[in-house]
Amino acid sequence: MIELVMLLAGAVLLINTRTAQILVAYVVLALTVSVLIAPSASESLLSLALFIITTVLKVVVVPIGIVVFLRANPAAGDLRPSLAMPARLAVVIAFALIARAFSHVTSLNAVPMQDLVAYVILCGLGMLMVHRNLLAHLVGLLALGAGVTLAGALLAPTLPEFIELGATFDALIATFIGLALVRAFVAHNPVLDVESLRRLRG
Amino acid sequence: MPGLVIAAPFVAALLALLLRSRARRRFTRVALAAVAALLPLALIGKVDRLALVFLALVSCLGLLATIFSTGIFAENFGNGAVGWSRKPVYFALLGAFWSAMLLVVLANDFALLWLGISATTLATAFLVGFSGEAAALEAAWKYLVLCSVGLAFALLGIVVLAHISTAAGLASMEVLSWTAIAAHGPASTPALARLAMALMIAGFGTKAGLVPMHAWLPDAHSKAPAPVSGLLSGVLVSCALYAIMRTVGVAWALGAGPFVQDVLMWFGALSVIVAGTLMLTQRDLKRLLAYSTVEHAGIVALALGFGGPLGWFAALFHVLSHAFAKSAAFFAAGMVQHERQTTTLSELHGLWSGGASGRFLLGALTALSGMPPFGLFISELLLVFAGAAAHRWVPLGLGLFGIAFAFAALSRTAIEVESGHGEVSHSVEPWRSGLMAGAAALALAIASLLVVVPWTGLGAALQATAATIGGIR
Repeated sequence: MIELVMLLAGAVLLINTRTAQILVAYVVLALTVSVLIAPSASESLLSLALFIITTVLKVVVVPIGIVVFLRANPAAGDLRPSLAMPARLAVVIAFALIARAFSHVTSLNAVPMQDLVAYVILCGLGMLMVHRNLLAHLVGLLALGAGVTLAGALLAPTLPEFIELGATFDALIATFIGLALVRAFVAHNPVLDVESLRRLRG
Repeated sequence: MPGLVIAAPFVAALLALLLRSRARRRFTRVALAAVAALLPLALIGKVDRLALVFLALVSCLGLLATIFSTGIFAENFGNGAVGWSRKPVYFALLGAFWSAMLLVVLANDFALLWLGISATTLATAFLVGFSGEAAALEAAWKYLVLCSVGLAFALLGIVVLAHISTAAGLASMEVLSWTAIAAHGPASTPALARLAMALMIAGFGTKAGLVPMHAWLPDAHSKAPAPVSGLLSGVLVSCALYAIMRTVGVAWALGAGPFVQDVLMWFGALSVIVAGTLMLTQRDLKRLLAYSTVEHAGIVALALGFGGPLGWFAALFHVLSHAFAKSAAFFAAGMVQHERQTTTLSELHGLWSGGASGRFLLGALTALSGMPPFGLFISELLLVFAGAAAHRWVPLGLGLFGIAFAFAALSRTAIEVESGHGEVSHSVEPWRSGLMAGAAALALAIASLLVVVPWTGLGAALQATAATIGGIR
């Protein structure tokens, strides 16, 4: 069941072009990852506190921040994918197959849920490549962070504080720096298209 | 004590901001920064030698950058277009950046080291986009996205390393400690060890600006305020290379040493040749210096890839020499920018006759091109010997071509900007130019003095320290 939810959420992140649906898919993905890592995060009081802060930042603060930002700057809501729909669909299928292949790598047998971890990480990276909107890139970074946090919780369950600190840093960077930069950017580029990041070349 | 040393620069920056009088605030800022730079002396004998070398580097250049910032920060430094473009925010972030780098070098395991490197991103993203101009925001965005992806890969590598160490029976407090891993011996799963090392090298290599993960560096280093560029190029890249050196040590302990050396060697050769070639096409002084950072990071990676006591010494000595020379270059470029209101190479002429900034710039460009009497001359010579000793002719050849291109680019720039006649369009108050010139002169003097270090007792100590890169003791 969890695999199916994550597969669908990842697919929506890559295929969809509507910000609202992308945000819902991201929240579903982040919440599912949080459910999976909750047992390891509750190992100590510190890791539990960090887990709660990170989850609130990722699942509540970032989506609300993006929604508030989009109300003030509706032109920034166009995700402008750089690939056509069939190509985006092909990317999702390719990612699912690559992730599946990870479960057949002998040296990774000791890693639990390796296919799921690989899929979430690939979806995060895929968002950076498939979409041209900076807000989508921000969500992509958070999805990538969720994948790495999941890997951490599964691979290093004895280090819950470090894993949660890592996740908190990810969330802080995306929430505060990312949103602040996006707010400053919109004055120069109302549609937040990555194509406008071409001033500095060579 | 390490906690106090780490917090000191940030706390000092905040304390100075509390004062109302401008003159007192400037004096207090420099005085407290000096105290923060001297505090690490208390850690001599309490941290290992490699950490101590980088601790000295971070502290020296952190202090010089604070002094230079105090001099260069005129009212028009940030245009106030964005919320964070304010003088108090600048100094608070500069202090936080310095503290984060101290955390990197004082960490005794990969968890703290990764947190320190991540904290530098938190502190510096706003410094890169400080002016609020579109180009600076673009640079800050690329820096944020690419470094976050790189650090995510480094974190992934670290958790795989934790998995290997846990499986090998290390206690949970020790699974990421390089000394504990080194003491424990080779991994039972070599493929996983290679995966962990590759992810960590790629992740930390992104922060060090190694090709092909370098795309953010020329933008960020050229668009940041000059003293921040000096710290980014001189110290942050050095801290990322320090993380790679720690990874090399663990790789040898896990039995993945030859693999990691090969990876570093090719990353290094690619970085030197690509950066050297791109330096020939640059039209902006700060961007040229930024590409030179990619080239020098590549030289360090190449030296680490050649390995052996000679390669490791070349790498460590190159990091030190480059850090001071590059900081001096960015400080001089900042002075030039302040005086001429441009860094476009075609608009810069007659710097030699224009005052101290032009002379510092010439000295720094000479140092960076690898000419005597600067430390980089010695470290590049050592690199050649290390490559020949390792019989790695192809990467060495690529590296030498890249170094030759970089030499040509820097020499041409030096001749073009220093010769002819040019006008200083913006005069600077004497106390400001004094502080800036003092910081640039000190950085350049240290870069020059390093040339004699290999023949002194300090050189022998550095050689012994470099030998620990491949096997933590």
